[in-house]
Amino acid sequence: MAGAAEVTDTREALLQVKDLRLNFHTYAGEVKALDGVTFVVKKGEAFGLVGESGCGKSVTALTIVGLLPENASVVDGEIMLGADNLLKTPPEEMRKIRANRIAMVFQDPTTFLNPVLTIGEQLEEVFLLNPDRLARVAAERKASEEALMEIKAEDEKTGTEREPTESTRKISKSAKKKVAKALSIDVLTEVRLPDSERTLKQYPHELSGGMRQRCMIAMALARNPDLFIADEITTALDVTIQAQILELLRELKKKLLGSTLLITHDLGVVAELCDRVAVMYAGNIVELATVKELFANPLHPYTQGLMRAIPMIDRRMERLETIPGSVPDLIYPPTGCRFHPRCPFAFERCKLEKPELIHVGKGHTVACHLFGEGKA
Amino acid sequence: MTQTVLEIKRLKKWFPITGGILGRVKGWVKAVDRVDLEIKEGETFGLVGESGSGKTTVGRCILRLIEPTAGQMIYRGQDITKLKGEAFRRVRRKFGVVFQDPYASLDPRQTIKGALTEPMKYHKTIGSDEEAVERAKDLIKRVGLNEDHLYRFPHEFSGGQRQRIAVARALTTDPEVIILDEPTSFLDVSVQAQILNLLSDLQKEFNLTYLFISHNLSVIEHMSNRVGVMYLGAIMEAAEKDIVYRRPEHPYTHALISALPIPNPELVRQRVVLAGDVPSPVNIPSGCRFRTRCPYATEFCAEKEPPLIARQPGHLVSCHYDLKLSAPIPILETSRKT
Repeated sequence: MAGAAEVTDTREALLQVKDLRLNFHTYAGEVKALDGVTFVVKKGEAFGLVGESGCGKSVTALTIVGLLPENASVVDGEIMLGADNLLKTPPEEMRKIRANRIAMVFQDPTTFLNPVLTIGEQLEEVFLLNPDRLARVAAERKASEEALMEIKAEDEKTGTEREPTESTRKISKSAKKKVAKALSIDVLTEVRLPDSERTLKQYPHELSGGMRQRCMIAMALARNPDLFIADEITTALDVTIQAQILELLRELKKKLLGSTLLITHDLGVVAELCDRVAVMYAGNIVELATVKELFANPLHPYTQGLMRAIPMIDRRMERLETIPGSVPDLIYPPTGCRFHPRCPFAFERCKLEKPELIHVGKGHTVACHLFGEGKA
Repeated sequence: MTQTVLEIKRLKKWFPITGGILGRVKGWVKAVDRVDLEIKEGETFGLVGESGSGKTTVGRCILRLIEPTAGQMIYRGQDITKLKGEAFRRVRRKFGVVFQDPYASLDPRQTIKGALTEPMKYHKTIGSDEEAVERAKDLIKRVGLNEDHLYRFPHEFSGGQRQRIAVARALTTDPEVIILDEPTSFLDVSVQAQILNLLSDLQKEFNLTYLFISHNLSVIEHMSNRVGVMYLGAIMEAAEKDIVYRRPEHPYTHALISALPIPNPELVRQRVVLAGDVPSPVNIPSGCRFRTRCPYATEFCAEKEPPLIARQPGHLVSCHYDLKLSAPIPILETSRKT
C-alpha cells in the first residue's frame, strides 16, 4: 500500500490519514476532490500541506475535524487520532474531540468569531465548558493561583468539604468565572495581545485583522489541543502583521508539545515553520519530505515547476518558468497521474496508471512513474 | 537618456467622512497624502505597500477615475490634472489599466469582442468596425488566446484567461503607460507566472511603461526596475530595485523586506518584527507617520515630518536619520538549484 513505507513507527504518530477518498456532489457531477490521501503527523512536529487552490488541502483538514459541508461524502479511508477512527466517531463525540484534542484556526477570523459576543465571553466559554480542565489548567498555571485561592476561600465560607478533584465540579459560578477570566488573560498575553484585559471586553469588530487572528489562536491554545490545525492563517494579513503571527507560531511551537498541521499555498511560510511537508495536486499528495530535503531536492515535476514559478527575492531570475495549462476539472479528472496533461516528462504509463507514493530515501516519498522500480 | 513619461508631484487624495443629519464633514481619510513619483519611459515602476497604504488610490488618481484633492500629474510635460473633455480623452487613451479582480472587471453580458472593441470605438482610434475586429483578433492572439474566444462571454473563462483578456483590453488603444493594479493577486502561483511572463513580453514588444502596484514584495522585485515603498499615504523610500531590496535606508522598508517569508529553509536571517498595527489613515501620526511603529523613533520624529530627499542620485528616503541598517536578506547565489 502507498503509505506502507511512511507509517513505520506508529508510536510516534499522532494523526494518521490513510487512503482518504472524498467526493462532492454538485449539479454538474461528482467532484473527486480527494483521491487517496495518505500521511502521518508525528507527535510534536509541524507538518505542512501545501498546494494551489482546489488541490484539496483545506478539504483534508475539514475532514479531520469533521466539519465537511453536507454535499461532501467520504468514499473510503481512515483518519486515526491515536486509537480513534475519526470517520467512525459519532457527531457528539466529534464535538468533544474538537473541544479538547483538535483545534482549528481558519483564514478569515471574522467569520469564526461571534460578532455579538465580546472576546472575553467567547474565550471564557472555552474554559467554562469543561470544569475539569478549568481546575487542572488553573493548577498548572502559576498566574492563576490567586484565583484558585479564592475558590478555596469560598469553599471554606460555605463550609463545603470535598475531594480536590470532585470539588471543582461544585464550585460556585462566580468563582468559576473568575478563574476563566484569569486564564483568558493568560492566554491572550501568551499570544502577545497588548492590554489583554481590555481586549476581553471588546467585540470582534473593534479589533484589527491581526488581533482577531491572535484571539482565534488564543481560543485554540486555551483548549490545550494535541493537534493544532492552521488553515491559511496568515493569508489575509499584511506582510508586517504576517511576520508577527509567524513569529508567534514559532514561539508557541517551541513551548507546546502538541503537533501542528499547517495548510498554506505559500512555500515561504512552509520553509519557515514546518518540519515536514506534503505537496498536494488535484486531490493527491505528489511528494512528501522533510522541509530541507524538499527545497534542496524537489523530485516531482509539479513540485519543481511550482518552485520555479514563484519569484523569489533571494535569487535572480530573468524569466519565470511556467506550468502550462491550469488545474484540471475534478469532475472529469485526468486518467492515471492527474498531473500528466501538464507534465513535461509524461509518457504512456502516466496516462494509464496512477503512480503510488514510493520511498526514495531519507523519509522522502514521491508519487511519480519517473521514480519507481529502480528507475530513480 | 530615457525620458520621464509621467511625473507626480505632491499628490493628495482625501476622502471626506460625513455624518449627522446635515451631512457635515467630520474628518478626512487621508488615503494619499504625499506622493511624488517619476516614471521613466520603458521602465516598470513598482509601487509596494500594505493594505490601506494608498497605492491603489494613486493608480486611480492617475487614470482620473477619482479626482485628486491636490497635486499635479504631468504626462510628457503636459499637466493632465485638470484636463477635461476631448483634450483629456486624447491623453487618457495613452493609459491602459488592468485591475486586480478579473471576475469583476469584465462585463458578464458583453462578449470578449465587445470588451475589446468598445474602447477603440470610444477613443476613435480605428476607422471602421471591421478594423476594430481585426485588431481585437490580433490582440487576443498576442495574449495567448485564440480568435474563437472573441465570441464567448467572461464566465466561460478561468481566472488566468480572464486576466489575459483584461491585458488585451488594456492594449486596445495603443497605450504608452499601463497601470497594473495587483494583476496577479487573484491567481494561483502557476498561473501567476504565466501572466507575469506575458506582461514582460508585451512590455518589450510594445515598449510599454508599467506602473506595477502590488502588496507582493517578491512579485514587485521580479518585475520592477525601480520601486517605491508606500506607508499611510506617503512614499517612504524610492530607488532602484536592488537598493530597495538589498540596501534599504528607511526602517520601514527594512522591516518590510525582512518580514517576507522566503521559500528557503537554509536561509538564516535576523527578522525585524514591527510592533502593532498600521494606524488609521484618519489620524495620521504627527511628524513622521511611521514613528509609532519605528524601532528607532525619537522625540524629534513626532515634531517634524521628514521630507523625501535624495540621499544619492535616484535614491529617495523620507527619514531624519541615517541609520546604517544591515542587509535585510542575506544574498545567496549558490545554495539553490531549482
